[in-house]
Amino acid sequence: MKDQIEFLDLMERAENQRSARRNFIRLCGGAAAMTGGLALLSGCNDDDDENPAPTPTPTPANPAAVDVDVLNFALQLEYLEANYYSYATTGAGIAAGLQTGVGTQGAVIPGTGAGAARAVTFTGSTDDRVVGEYAREIAADEIAHVTFLRTALGSAASAQAAINLSGSASVTANGATVPGAFTAAARAAGVIGANEIFDPYASVENFLIGSYLLTDVGVTAYRGSARLITNKTFLEAAAGILSTEAYHDGVIRSNLYARGLTVPSIFTRITQISNSRDTLDGAPDTDQDIGTAAVANLVPTDSGGFVLGRTAPQVLNVVYGSSAAVSQGGFFPAGVNGNIRTSRAN
Amino acid sequence: MAESRDMMEVLDRRVQRREERREFFRSALGMGVAAAGGMAALGMASSANAQSAPTDLDILNLALNLEYLEAQFYSYAANGEGLPDNLLTGTVGTRGNVNGGRKAVLTDPIVIQYAREIAADERAHVVSLRAALTSAAVAQPAIDISVDVFTAAAVASGVDLSASGGRFDPYASDNNFLIGAYIFEDVGVTAYKGAAPLLASADIVDAAAGILAAEAFHAGIIRAALYRRGVEAPVLRTIADRISDGRDTLDGTAVSAGPPNRVADDDQGISPTGTGATQVANIVPTDANGIVFSRTAEQVHNIVYLTPRQATSGGFFPAGTNNANAALRRSAANA
Repeated sequence: MKDQIEFLDLMERAENQRSARRNFIRLCGGAAAMTGGLALLSGCNDDDDENPAPTPTPTPANPAAVDVDVLNFALQLEYLEANYYSYATTGAGIAAGLQTGVGTQGAVIPGTGAGAARAVTFTGSTDDRVVGEYAREIAADEIAHVTFLRTALGSAASAQAAINLSGSASVTANGATVPGAFTAAARAAGVIGANEIFDPYASVENFLIGSYLLTDVGVTAYRGSARLITNKTFLEAAAGILSTEAYHDGVIRSNLYARGLTVPSIFTRITQISNSRDTLDGAPDTDQDIGTAAVANLVPTDSGGFVLGRTAPQVLNVVYGSSAAVSQGGFFPAGVNGNIRTSRAN
Repeated sequence: MAESRDMMEVLDRRVQRREERREFFRSALGMGVAAAGGMAALGMASSANAQSAPTDLDILNLALNLEYLEAQFYSYAANGEGLPDNLLTGTVGTRGNVNGGRKAVLTDPIVIQYAREIAADERAHVVSLRAALTSAAVAQPAIDISVDVFTAAAVASGVDLSASGGRFDPYASDNNFLIGAYIFEDVGVTAYKGAAPLLASADIVDAAAGILAAEAFHAGIIRAALYRRGVEAPVLRTIADRISDGRDTLDGTAVSAGPPNRVADDDQGISPTGTGATQVANIVPTDANGIVFSRTAEQVHNIVYLTPRQATSGGFFPAGTNNANAALRRSAANA
């Protein structure tokens, strides 16, 4: 009997959430930009026989309002990740044709001098060279995600917002003089002193730490959003992107762990960043470091073996670098584009 | 506004379905069917109508079968012992034993950490799925993780075993353990991804996304380790590529728009493309959109049964998987 009652309770709770969401849709649905016109993605032929990847993931014709908002939020995060990996591997951001859309289009702010966004040197050692091979793969995946989401959203796709991708001491962003976002995040976490800079492009080690700053956030964002997506085709695609982000994160975290065995300060710095994100996004605990040399923690899971998730406002706490309810800051000095744009008051 | 109305209708239909399901549980309770314990009633209903579309419980039980397999492999490899008896019971299906697992000879401290952490995660997945399913949880079926079965998997993929006497022992070394893990990990990811759009409950979608992501972390870690070791031992990349090709042969070339979305070639090895400063790894098996592949329940069974044909047992599951829904116990006829 107990089992059934608990199951019914679970369903009741799901029902309540659904009612709340329905009210939200009643209020906002009519106002949301609803545009269809989605073309099926054209298949790309891969010229590599070993790894052919020809067939497109299908997209539905008329995304629902909730799905549009969730996918646009994901797109904003993909712009950030794609530009970071693109700069790190090529020295330039994503193509201009991938930046247009609804909202205020912004440019990447690379900064100048020390800490400026630029290509990382991946040629120092075999380990560094292999990380470069990972980085080029991740860059291609993230750009593919931008392309896929833009196609799926059609004319409802949001524009790339201004992105502070710098580790410089100061940049001009949204009319103000602020530190490069990586430096600001590293200072807030205590990884560096108040007058030091954190340059994620200076070395492979720093690049991996910069990746840790961003990639965990992508995983938790998709994890937290999956339950909100109503269209099953989109849900499957989002599950596929979540998987890709988790593969990336597994690569980044296991590399940091291996390097930590010879450079123990890496463990300390990762713990500081993780704790800082936890402070920014409030309760519950949504973030984990990579453990210690003695006990690795490469997969950030709860006691049930579930990877942790963040709500969209919590994700914004992290990328805006604020524990308050704000609509801009940090990596997005003019805020993200789309209907989901305000962080949570923690 | 039209879209809002459509949306409302969709939600209303979902609520209606949920009401019907709740009514089913209430009836089951009232009729005393459930006296035997919890949601076994559901299992009975599914059995009587075995070809019906899978329920969330059927799908979670499919996942539980795979988690039993993974958890036992990693538990033996990392700790030298399997899961405790109290995690193997169930009222649905025949309870079986594990054949062939043992503690792996691991020497690299990093690989030892991988094995320990993944073993803990997979065991947690078994515990979590059993807790979610309560009395509807299937028993652990017979599981064969012996050298014989891993050898069969390697041979079926065309892996050259001449240097190891025609045998593939996943417990013999760091490298062999990583290859053994590679055989499973991507399969779990594609199984969860393929099942995600079939789930009705948002709560279960949420939980499945959490497990999916954990499996993808594992797969990323294992594939990256093989890729890195492949710099000094290129044969590791070759073997991983062969196993990928083998899985592709087993699971067939059927295509459908979905969901779940199926493509002819749904598996990829790890070998890089390009050379020098433009060399690119292939840690993540994705389509052109950067999206990981899906497999259907039948395709997953082709791989764990090690057969391209329709079957209800074989390979790692010598007596088949356990499920109240027969459609989730069999492999597809691909050959």
